[in-house]
Amino acid sequence: MAQTNQVLVTQRSNVRTIILNRPEQLNVFNLKMTCQLLELLQAYEEDPTVKLIIFKGEGRAFCAGGDIKAVVDDINKGSWKQGASLFSTGYKVHYLKATYTKTQVIILRGIAIGSGAALAIHGTFQVVTDNTVFALPEAALGSFPDAGSSYYLSRLPGFFGEYVGLTCVRLDGAEMLACGLASHYVPLEKLSSLEDALCEANTGDPKIINNIINNFSNKNPKLKEKSPYYRLKTINRCFSKRTVEEIISALKDADKNMDDWISMTIQTLKKALPTSLKISLRSIREGRLQGIGQCLIREYRIICTVLQGVFCRDFFEGYRALLVDKDKNPKWEPSKLEFVSKRMVDYYFVPLADKGWEDLKLPARSNLTSHAISKL
Amino acid sequence: MDRVNFRTQIITRHLTNHHTSTTNLLQTATCLNYSPPELSEPSSHFDTNALRKLLDGESMDEIDHMFNLMIQSDLFCRRERGGKVFISPDFNEPMEKQREMTMRRIGYLKEQGVFDGWLTSKGGEAELLGFTRANSCGVFDHSLGIKLGVHFFLWGGAIQFMGTKRHHDKWLRPTETYEVIGCFAMTELGHGSNVRGIETVTTYDANTQEFIINTPCESAQKYWIGGAANDATHAAVFSQLEINGVNEGVHAFIAQIRDGNGNVCKNVRIADCGHKIGLNGVDNGRIWFDNLRIPRENLLNSVADVSPDGKYLSAIKDPLQRFAAFMAPLTSGRVTIAASSMNTTKKGLATAVRYSLSRRAFSLKPNEPEVLLLDYPSHQRRLLPLIAKTYALNFASECLKTIYVNRTQESIKIVHVVSSALKATLTWHSMRTLQECREACGGQGVKTENHVGQLKSEYDVQLTFEGDNNVLMQQVSKALFMEFIAAKKKTKPIEGLGLEHLNKPAPVLPLNLTSSTLRTTQFQTDIFCLRERDLLHRFVSEVSQRQAQGENKEHIFTMTYQIAEDLGRAFSDRFVLQTFLDVEATVPAGSLKNVLGLMRSMYTTIVMEEDASFLRYGYLSTDNAAVVRKEVLKLCSELRPHALSLVSSFGIPDALLGPIGFDWVASNSWSSVKHV
Repeated sequence: MAQTNQVLVTQRSNVRTIILNRPEQLNVFNLKMTCQLLELLQAYEEDPTVKLIIFKGEGRAFCAGGDIKAVVDDINKGSWKQGASLFSTGYKVHYLKATYTKTQVIILRGIAIGSGAALAIHGTFQVVTDNTVFALPEAALGSFPDAGSSYYLSRLPGFFGEYVGLTCVRLDGAEMLACGLASHYVPLEKLSSLEDALCEANTGDPKIINNIINNFSNKNPKLKEKSPYYRLKTINRCFSKRTVEEIISALKDADKNMDDWISMTIQTLKKALPTSLKISLRSIREGRLQGIGQCLIREYRIICTVLQGVFCRDFFEGYRALLVDKDKNPKWEPSKLEFVSKRMVDYYFVPLADKGWEDLKLPARSNLTSHAISKL
Repeated sequence: MDRVNFRTQIITRHLTNHHTSTTNLLQTATCLNYSPPELSEPSSHFDTNALRKLLDGESMDEIDHMFNLMIQSDLFCRRERGGKVFISPDFNEPMEKQREMTMRRIGYLKEQGVFDGWLTSKGGEAELLGFTRANSCGVFDHSLGIKLGVHFFLWGGAIQFMGTKRHHDKWLRPTETYEVIGCFAMTELGHGSNVRGIETVTTYDANTQEFIINTPCESAQKYWIGGAANDATHAAVFSQLEINGVNEGVHAFIAQIRDGNGNVCKNVRIADCGHKIGLNGVDNGRIWFDNLRIPRENLLNSVADVSPDGKYLSAIKDPLQRFAAFMAPLTSGRVTIAASSMNTTKKGLATAVRYSLSRRAFSLKPNEPEVLLLDYPSHQRRLLPLIAKTYALNFASECLKTIYVNRTQESIKIVHVVSSALKATLTWHSMRTLQECREACGGQGVKTENHVGQLKSEYDVQLTFEGDNNVLMQQVSKALFMEFIAAKKKTKPIEGLGLEHLNKPAPVLPLNLTSSTLRTTQFQTDIFCLRERDLLHRFVSEVSQRQAQGENKEHIFTMTYQIAEDLGRAFSDRFVLQTFLDVEATVPAGSLKNVLGLMRSMYTTIVMEEDASFLRYGYLSTDNAAVVRKEVLKLCSELRPHALSLVSSFGIPDALLGPIGFDWVASNSWSSVKHV
């Protein structure tokens, strides 16, 4: 197996293109790939000959997230900490990307899911296209939106971020552009010419790059008729509520006729793991008042608590029901929102009481420019 | 430097990628780059979240929820500066527009359910929640906090505490939903702090069972009434009550002043107070009553009532006592003002300290980088003691809230004294801190969007409303005097208000102070107690001497204000120290406790250095005062590494601070200029 080929790099003058190359697995990244990404990013930041980095995925997908199967295998072998190392390395990649001093263009062809979505969002420019699909299905899987999602979701307009994080809704390219998850929409057929143009320009100047991408862009891609983005007003009214329970009851009150969208949203929320919903909501709310570094440190505490599986085994149940047995009928425990107390949620937000466990150590940054601190 | 050479360098810098680090330091030094303090400052030695929890306690989640609500709404004027989102009212808008925006923000918060149960839920927890919500709004804009404060604490509080069931049932719920918008018509043109002197007169007509409210002269017009100019539909009107020609003293009545369409009611005249130095988002107005008739039931009758046939009924015969009982519950205003002044202080300090950790000025030697502002000892002396003091006073303000919500009939006096002392001390500290922050930020401090300068005029009124600070401090010393005399008369030990130390022998201070003595809680407590004790004794003896000479008591208190002021401060400082020690005692040994200890020493030392009474009355010899002064310098340098963590622990989100606290190069760059 040519392991080294899972991350490809092409080089054209001062531009590097990083290609996730595991197309059969929808470019799901494993520990090895993550380490490679980290090394590449660190090297390019130091390398004065690198001005621009383009990210893309090989095949149908941009990236379907982290390799959960490998993590679960590790845990079943008895080492949840081994499983956690994929996350700690991955979070460092996200941190680096979010605070990077060089310009990045991420081309999102196909699906970008979970931490794969995060990989795309932490960067200077996100180019979406006709077949882009964005989703954070973690709450359905027994986990929560991590990888810095609490940072960027909380910075979407109004309370759209809470909606996206809690309902696992899929967004297409046009919706991503509308809500600010993407910076440009370029039609599929123009993507390769865009890449060529970027390489020819051979510059890291964000303004010039922005102009180049604009030349290929569709400025106003049509939102699909039933896009949830048209429901922003209702979303703001409901998803701004203090608790998940209040959000659901606000949704029920929002429309007496219970149109499809509302009843579907309520359905999804009721099906998702109750603990996950509460963790996700709190994580996004805290993230709104924090920087990307703090967000990742908090999310790392949560994910380790999830993987450790002391308080709750739902993560493994979600994995079983959705990815192994595929019965899509996970049995959550606690099974209802009202059984998840504030104290139970609190456990996920404090450092783990496990010998040898440490908070996420983020790589030191020598030069944190303002545009690097905040993207959205 | 050679000008041509200089220009070439700048142009080169623009042409080449400025992110690439050059080895030639001299070249890169020609143009400044912003570096966030997070990178240059040591990472925190203590858990900043744990420290914040000591300030905000259980309210933390609610505060953050309020911040979330405000940051995500377009009504709160989101703007981008240097890649970050900030929210702040647009003070450049005309007064009318600012007022309109305040009401729209209230409408939004109402939609979000923020006001549900504010007045109709019972108990201390509900009261705390109200404080938290109003104060969190005040972090964004004082006008918003005050509009809510007037409506809920003053109008709502008057109904709750001065009214009885019939008023609660009728008014509280519509107040929460803003069907009724209340105002609090107490102050008049001619009378403010002296409420008993107001001139509005109310009489009773037994034939129609109505009260008749009248403004007999121009000086009796209601003045500064928040909400009256535009929005309020109802007022709690304070007035002398005359029954059968007998003045029964000040009472409060509910009067409708506008109808549902916003038209001013018949027999009411309203005028605007006009533009103010700050708080222009609040519509302060003036009201005249022309024999306005209101139903008999509208008398807020918790203490006294008038029967349908016009008899005055009250369980409390002494009008003075009646007035005191009547006014007692209204201390909630002072409690929130004290707390809200802390938020302002934290906002200003966090901005100024962050700026001082990224802005440099002057090189000490040629070709050396310029020095960071907060690395100058003088700059440390200006800002760091204010941080320590803010923590100390903030702990006291939290303690005051607890005292208030747990109040009983017996503790009303304590609530009154402590809230008076702290309202004055905290708001004075707030103004002083903002002024220092303004100067510490240099020219950037005068820019409205950077907050520190603007906050001064927005919050200045805190020193005056709900009791002028000087008047309040005089009341504190007067109350201490009364306590002392009462205990003496009963030949009982003095109790309450933390005065128990007076029953013990006077503490003996060491003759020669050292740095380590200054940092012991023993010494700090001793000298603060000694000062309070001695000043109280001096005050009592001066008053008694004058009394023996037959002087009138009120006249005596007027003449002895100098010592009374010293005593008021001594009480307040000692109280603050005590609450600080109480907080410290809850923290386990470790880095957080150490930094708290450092701040406590800074607080006590700075009080000793700044308050002349320590030298004036000899609690410090001139030699010891010199030791104190030296210690301040030392404490500053020890607090310096914690500066960033300490202001981060204030818990004010970046979005509510001033942009100069962050990348002020980017937020002022040419590309950020809106080119027309």
